[in-house]
Amino acid sequence: MKRKISVILSLLFLFILFWAQWNWKHLSSFPSIISSFYSKEYCSCYFVMELSEEQCHDFARQWVPISEFKLDKENKSVTVKGLGRTNTTKYLSKEYGCTLATD
Amino acid sequence: MKQSLIFIILLFCIQCGKDLSPFGGEPEVNTLKPRLKPEWPNPTWKVVSPESVGVSSDKLKLVEEYAFTRTGDETDRKGRRTDSLVILRNGKLIYEKYARNFSEDKVHLTWSVSKSILQTMYGIAVKQGLVKLDDPGYYHYEPLSRDEAHKKITIRHLLNMSSGLAAEEGYESGPLKSSVIAMLYTRGRKDMGSFCAGLPIRSEPGTQVYYSSCDTNILSAILKKVYGAEEYDKLPFEKIFKPLGITNVTFERDGSGTYVGSSYLYMTAKDLAKIGYLYLNDGIWNGERLLPEGWVQFTRTPAPGYKSTPYSEDLAEDNYTAHWYANTGVPERGIHEPWPDAPKDTFAGLGHWGQMLYVIPSLDLIIVRFGDDREKAFIKNDFLKLVKESVIR
Repeated sequence: MKRKISVILSLLFLFILFWAQWNWKHLSSFPSIISSFYSKEYCSCYFVMELSEEQCHDFARQWVPISEFKLDKENKSVTVKGLGRTNTTKYLSKEYGCTLATD
Repeated sequence: MKQSLIFIILLFCIQCGKDLSPFGGEPEVNTLKPRLKPEWPNPTWKVVSPESVGVSSDKLKLVEEYAFTRTGDETDRKGRRTDSLVILRNGKLIYEKYARNFSEDKVHLTWSVSKSILQTMYGIAVKQGLVKLDDPGYYHYEPLSRDEAHKKITIRHLLNMSSGLAAEEGYESGPLKSSVIAMLYTRGRKDMGSFCAGLPIRSEPGTQVYYSSCDTNILSAILKKVYGAEEYDKLPFEKIFKPLGITNVTFERDGSGTYVGSSYLYMTAKDLAKIGYLYLNDGIWNGERLLPEGWVQFTRTPAPGYKSTPYSEDLAEDNYTAHWYANTGVPERGIHEPWPDAPKDTFAGLGHWGQMLYVIPSLDLIIVRFGDDREKAFIKNDFLKLVKESVIR
């Protein structure tokens, strides 16, 4: 019985390993979604649509919570940390609004 | 075993009852009649009572009730959550209301309605003779020349959402493999056009309709090459917004300075109505033709790729045309009108979470509705039915 379970577990592990490798490009970028979405949509909500801080948090909130948030009103930027990744969005101008910073 | 057999037979029987076959010929799209007395909003719309243009105020109250009554929990962002509603008849403003801290001066994210304005940019480029609809994209944009299959993608295919690129347009439902999320927020954000052009081909270009934000951002990147970065930056502001008297507008760009034509245009409700009015007048503004002849007809005609798109239940949800939506149905593919209680000539620009721009030529109506619906509680057909019923003559 024990042997049976360990065989099943190893097969499952192997399957997950293959699946993860197959989908690596999706998996590796996935954690960044939370902070990039939050910072981009918050930036546009606050600086472009000019809604309140509270309303913009409601607008950008997702089902995975974020761990850090910084609204820099002076430099017009929004930095958010979530799932271990940090992303910043900057407000450029009235015409061009906000753009996620890219490295 | 027995139970699962019964379940399979039952499932089979349910499927048997559905008619998945086509039920008629080609969709009917009549040419727009020239409007005799168009009124131009200089600088803004003339406000009149609904009755003076044949609309019942009492019936409009039902429209208001439908749009502005919160039906769900605000903290969970449930139910119908309308931010702005503007209705025009005969070129005059008959209804305007805002909620949730929006006002007539505040711009609102239009999400995918942006696609329909990106299409306006193409109308301008075609009229200027800079691009032709049947130009292969790679003539203007190098990333589409990666192989013979990609070289077959034309500007028309992209406008008809029929590029054949293997995009995955899932938002919250499937974030892991969604190419639109990867494009906007992670792997593609630096240069969305080139990220999208790098997707493999799933079907022969032009043969299948698949709604994809990638198609739009490739179109946006093509325009940047056609005009050059400096002129492209000014293009929507100089060629569309300025002639229409739109000054309060934001159009966001990706990391490489390309307009995110798929998603990030911000406008006021009344200014978006001006775009609708341009199309209602067959691309003419204040007596001047901005869009080429036949452009609005192209805008209202369902994508030819529907003829060979494999049937699925999702197909019936919309009649995609050329970066707009129509209410014609596609009978030859078994697709009914998406809004059966609205006039058949209704066409629209539609966006995520409830952004809507409706043009109804037969009733001379333009409707702009902005919202933040996080679930499907705002039923477009129910809403349009109420608007239609408010028209008394």
